[in-house]
Amino acid sequence: MNRLPRLDFWSGVLAVAFVVVAVLMVWPLYSIFTASVIDNRSGAWTLANFAQILGHPAYQAALINSLIVGTGGMIGAMLLGIPLAVLTTRFVIAGRSVLATLSVLALVSPPFIGAYAWIMMLGSNGWMRALLADVGIVPPPIYGMFGILLAFSLKFYPFVFLLTASSLGSISPSVEEAAESLGAGPWRRFFKVTLPLVFPAVSSGALLAFVLSIADFGTPSIVGGKVRLLATTAFDLFTAEMGGNPGLASATSVVLLAVCMTVVVLQRWAVRRRDIAGSLLRRPVPRRLRPAASAVAHIVCYAIVLAGSLPSIVVIYTSFRRTSGPVFHSGFGVESYARILGEVPHVIANSFTYATASVVLIAILGTLIGYILARRETVAAGLLDNMLLIPYIVPGVVMGLAYVVTFNVPPLQITGTAAIIVLMLFIRRLPYAVRSSTSILKQIKGGIEEAAISLGASPSRAFLRVTLPLMMPGIVAGALMSFITAINELSSSLILYVGRTMTMPVRIYLSVLDGQWGTASALSTVLLAVTGLAVFVVYRISDRKESAFV
Amino acid sequence: MARVELRHIGKSYPGVQALDDVELAIESGEFFTLLGPSGCGKTTLLRTVAGFIRQERGEVLVAGQRIDDIPAYRRNIGLVFQDYAIFPHMTVGDNVAFGLSNRRRPRDEIAQRVTRALDLVRLGGYADRLPHQLSGGQQQRVGLARAVVIEPQILLMDEPLSNLDAKLRVELRDDIRDLQHSLGITTLYVTHDQEEALVISDRICVMHSGRVHQVGTPWEVYAQPATLFVAAFVGAMNVIADLPVDAAGTLSFGAEPRTLPMLAGRDRVTLAIRLEDMTLVAATEAVPDDALALDGVVDKISFAGREAFYRVRLDAGPQIQAHVHRPERHLLEHSGARLRLILPLARLHMFDPATGRRIGDAS
Repeated sequence: MNRLPRLDFWSGVLAVAFVVVAVLMVWPLYSIFTASVIDNRSGAWTLANFAQILGHPAYQAALINSLIVGTGGMIGAMLLGIPLAVLTTRFVIAGRSVLATLSVLALVSPPFIGAYAWIMMLGSNGWMRALLADVGIVPPPIYGMFGILLAFSLKFYPFVFLLTASSLGSISPSVEEAAESLGAGPWRRFFKVTLPLVFPAVSSGALLAFVLSIADFGTPSIVGGKVRLLATTAFDLFTAEMGGNPGLASATSVVLLAVCMTVVVLQRWAVRRRDIAGSLLRRPVPRRLRPAASAVAHIVCYAIVLAGSLPSIVVIYTSFRRTSGPVFHSGFGVESYARILGEVPHVIANSFTYATASVVLIAILGTLIGYILARRETVAAGLLDNMLLIPYIVPGVVMGLAYVVTFNVPPLQITGTAAIIVLMLFIRRLPYAVRSSTSILKQIKGGIEEAAISLGASPSRAFLRVTLPLMMPGIVAGALMSFITAINELSSSLILYVGRTMTMPVRIYLSVLDGQWGTASALSTVLLAVTGLAVFVVYRISDRKESAFV
Repeated sequence: MARVELRHIGKSYPGVQALDDVELAIESGEFFTLLGPSGCGKTTLLRTVAGFIRQERGEVLVAGQRIDDIPAYRRNIGLVFQDYAIFPHMTVGDNVAFGLSNRRRPRDEIAQRVTRALDLVRLGGYADRLPHQLSGGQQQRVGLARAVVIEPQILLMDEPLSNLDAKLRVELRDDIRDLQHSLGITTLYVTHDQEEALVISDRICVMHSGRVHQVGTPWEVYAQPATLFVAAFVGAMNVIADLPVDAAGTLSFGAEPRTLPMLAGRDRVTLAIRLEDMTLVAATEAVPDDALALDGVVDKISFAGREAFYRVRLDAGPQIQAHVHRPERHLLEHSGARLRLILPLARLHMFDPATGRRIGDAS
């Protein structure tokens, strides 16, 4: 008789999820769109902001530079990532798992470490520049496009590497042998069969490199010199003219978002017909190379990974050098650590508090939403699933500006509070937890829960007693990965922070701009240590290892 | 179409002798099957011919030419895989065309030959489909068309049916046989399924631990197994291991002793007999001169419709399976009954317990 949908626990969760997504994501993005088409003074509708961006040479340059940076970062990541993936999966390379682990660490390390570590190495006083000069090589100046692309290529190659390697590992050797038996030589086989098969993975990795390159704010503002990008322009417009020209800052953000969206759509279109899931009776076996070729392969692999890890090594080394203020002295000491503990203990505490708070929220809601998406195939669940793709694409700067535009006026006036930073971290990382929870649930057969119910457990009891414990390792791994990204978040925090709510990445960024290398390195080392520990724990509890991070 | 010769092929992996001095000749146009359990070396041998494994010793000749130094992609050999190995990113038509475009054939010739090959495997009209839209059986037909369209000198098939369900397997098995017949292409086929091997092959090579145990027609392999291994692997066989024999060749095992001249001078023998070669009679029935009789108690009867299997515990100890064709109802109520198994001497297989080799023919 009851025609109304049953209002059970899961309907409640779904309702909460929609409210959360609407308030924390849809509303801010709507606000920033509105702000971009409204005249600051008169409040009338206008496209003047966009006209200025597309018409003014400075903004045109920012757009073009952003495209160059995105494309360059992407190409660099592919040039490093694809050979590394091919070599480590197709040939016997000693220490393959070490290479993968170091790549993961490079990937999850604080985003702007690369930028200032490369300044320390290749800046005008850098040791590497001096070293290269001795052998007659003069690299281009680090400040500018060269520095940005160097940092991005070495930062984002692990996406291409890990995704491509995992895809290469899932091609049945039979397929390549079939090509060979049909008369395709090694090169033709690679370009006609192997490469098209890994194209979806390569392009996903490339897409991530592109989007993250043009979204990244820390690296170009530290090492970019005079090169203006959309992300840095939006930030400057916002900070320089606080309350003065949010319209132009918003419009710049919208353009940045539009570029990201376009690239994502293009990639989706390029892989549209490639629903490739073969049965895997045979797994590829790495071949042993002849000694000379093997030596070359090892050198290439280790050189790439080492270059990617170099910034972290330099930062850790620098943090233990003796300093006073910006001046380094010879010898080692822990002055930098003493200084950060004395001067900015609240910054360290803030970082841990905000990251933990957001991760607790993420783990709880992410698990519940993941359950709905995996087990209930309703229209509402499908809609939610699609909406949760949005945070993947929205750059931190854009989301940060959207939050300021939305939440510094009633009804929800929370700018300057810790809550706004926690909520921002929460909504940006929620989709990752949902995805990891869904993927665990796909491995847990639905039948097991039905078995519990048939034995007399209520649905909620079945979930709590049977499903949840089985999901636990995955939830913890997902939470730790969210924690890693949350504690390393810079761009949105930099827009949302006030003195009281400063976090470690913000402090590092400000220290680097002030030339306080010691302080920056010590704080970065703390972040690296926390990140490394979290990665270690994920490795211990997750059997997916490095593939869990991409 | 070409004759294939394998001369003294040897290949070892750490701790395993994968191929041990394998010597075979496959006649032109022949359907030749390598049969054996997993790990017997059959796939290694096939992949050696394909060019994916390089043997350590010996040589491979196709039509009288050594091919060992020719890379796989220059050997004109068609290959059909267990996991189909269809290129998932290409249409059915492009899959079949792949080998021809590698050979730089003119476009209209390719189109023509692709159409013909797809018709041949009854997939006419499927050229524009993508592989994931096809069933496993259809995918394997694509694999077959793709392998034969290049008109290879030899066709190699590595357990092409083992991923399919039982009904499809029989259907495609017959299609493969018909296709091979009509094209007359020399075919080397690998399987672990003895029934499949018996049905499909002109000749079978039974392998075990990297060695050839027997090469023969399906009838020879089934009716005259050369070794105890072949006897036990091909078809169901009762084996009574290691019985004593006296100097005159008299076997005292069973209800009445029987003297077999070919056993004279041996002191031990292993007997084997097919399930369907025995007759079940009342425990008191007389034993014919040309048969061995074994007495025992029916342990269990498994009824399977057109046939039934009796498990009999012999008084002498071992258990034996016997086969009853079209069982009558009353025969199914014999559980626990005593009965006598009549084993015609002509149907007995005898093996040297030490070497496992067949001893002459009992007649």
